[in-house]
Amino acid sequence: MIGRLKVLLRGEADRVAESVSRAGFESVAQFSLIILIGAGLYGATLGLWRGPLQAFYTAIKFPLVIFLTCLGNGAINGMLAQILGSGLSFRQTAVAILMSFAIAAIILAGFAPLTLFVWFNAPPLESEGAIVGHSVMLLTHVFVIALAGVIANRRLLGLLRKMSGSDKVARAVLFSWLAGNLFLGAQIAWNLRPFIGSPRLAIEFLRSDPLRGNFYEAVWRALRHLVF
Amino acid sequence: MNTTPTQNQSSKPPPIPGRFAFEPMPKGASPPLVIEALLKYPGRIIHELQNNWRATLLLWLLSLVLLGMMAYGVVVGSFSGGAQLWIAPVKIAMGTILSILICLPSLYIFTCLSGIDAQLRTVTGVLFAAVSLGALLLIGFAPVAWIFSQSTDSVAFMAALHIGLWAIGIMFGLRLLEAMGYLLGGSARTHLKLWSVIFIVVCLQMMTTLRPIVGTSDHLLPSEKKFFLAHWVETLRDESTRK
Repeated sequence: MIGRLKVLLRGEADRVAESVSRAGFESVAQFSLIILIGAGLYGATLGLWRGPLQAFYTAIKFPLVIFLTCLGNGAINGMLAQILGSGLSFRQTAVAILMSFAIAAIILAGFAPLTLFVWFNAPPLESEGAIVGHSVMLLTHVFVIALAGVIANRRLLGLLRKMSGSDKVARAVLFSWLAGNLFLGAQIAWNLRPFIGSPRLAIEFLRSDPLRGNFYEAVWRALRHLVF
Repeated sequence: MNTTPTQNQSSKPPPIPGRFAFEPMPKGASPPLVIEALLKYPGRIIHELQNNWRATLLLWLLSLVLLGMMAYGVVVGSFSGGAQLWIAPVKIAMGTILSILICLPSLYIFTCLSGIDAQLRTVTGVLFAAVSLGALLLIGFAPVAWIFSQSTDSVAFMAALHIGLWAIGIMFGLRLLEAMGYLLGGSARTHLKLWSVIFIVVCLQMMTTLRPIVGTSDHLLPSEKKFFLAHWVETLRDESTRK
């Protein structure tokens, strides 16, 4: 398992490509386990500022966002990979995407001590600076998650280059997957909120109306408030 | 003595590498084979339609169009629920077929103008293949659309999302027409590009004619005639007034 993690992190395209080509159950299970542990661990640090219960909830929900995004986009990602000429089958596509999320999960797990340190230094919930604490935690997590995502996708691009034999095809496939996964992932994360937990609201697994409203409308409303 | 252009094209495949390779399909035209060819080897579909035309292939493509559009239509209808669960799929499937019928004659003419020597049945088949590829992609997008349709009550947002997803699907589908131009020796490509724009406009107007599809109404079809853009502006205005 450790050897597998090292291969993933080093981005050894030959060995990773071989494992993705086989697209066996073993790969799916291992990548899923890595996501479950890595993203779960990081998720716990994400919710810790609000309280231990929120940490527990977020540890469950963070990997859930990844799995639901993979599941929801599974069919379209497979189709796009084939249409764009990558030569990847549906199963290979699913394994490749799981692999990139697994890399992100390992990186996130590696950052967990760092975000714990930020949490340790953040003004606590009961203090006057609670809003500052919330903002610092939010920005730190956005930065760390974005960094993990960028690195994981660079690894995925290397794999796609290797498997498709074309830089142009690899970039097109990666772009289409990224666009789809970000689009759906943002909405699923919105439905499964809260992750950090608002200082003014009670801790809960899901909001009382998780399916009400969507991420993009909320962003649009926020922009309108800001501009008009 | 007199070799037809069709035979010539079969014996001399154009030098298009990779997935647009102009080669025969494996024997039979079962749905999995057709789907695989649409996604991975669209050149095979065009080869079959040009050199080994079979009604079964055309029927499978048509079935795929209908099934794909109806399946996605159920997701579109799930936004409003109730009767829209069957009205939306029927309207979307019917609207797509009507758009194909309206645009087919002009496609054939534009194909000839592009210098492609193809029969009407080949052109019909390629158009079915293009739309069925779009329908297939819409099936892939269905889970995404469903999540959003359950999470918002904004008709404008859902309509924009459906149009966006449909546009992605049809964009990939219409690449098949471009491939037909390459593979069957077309000399001018602008005609088919222009036709693609016409087809997209017709489809958008068709869905406006058959409205409401996303929202609900007391009437199955509208009594008031409206162009797509006018209807769209009105929908956006209603939405901002509502908020």
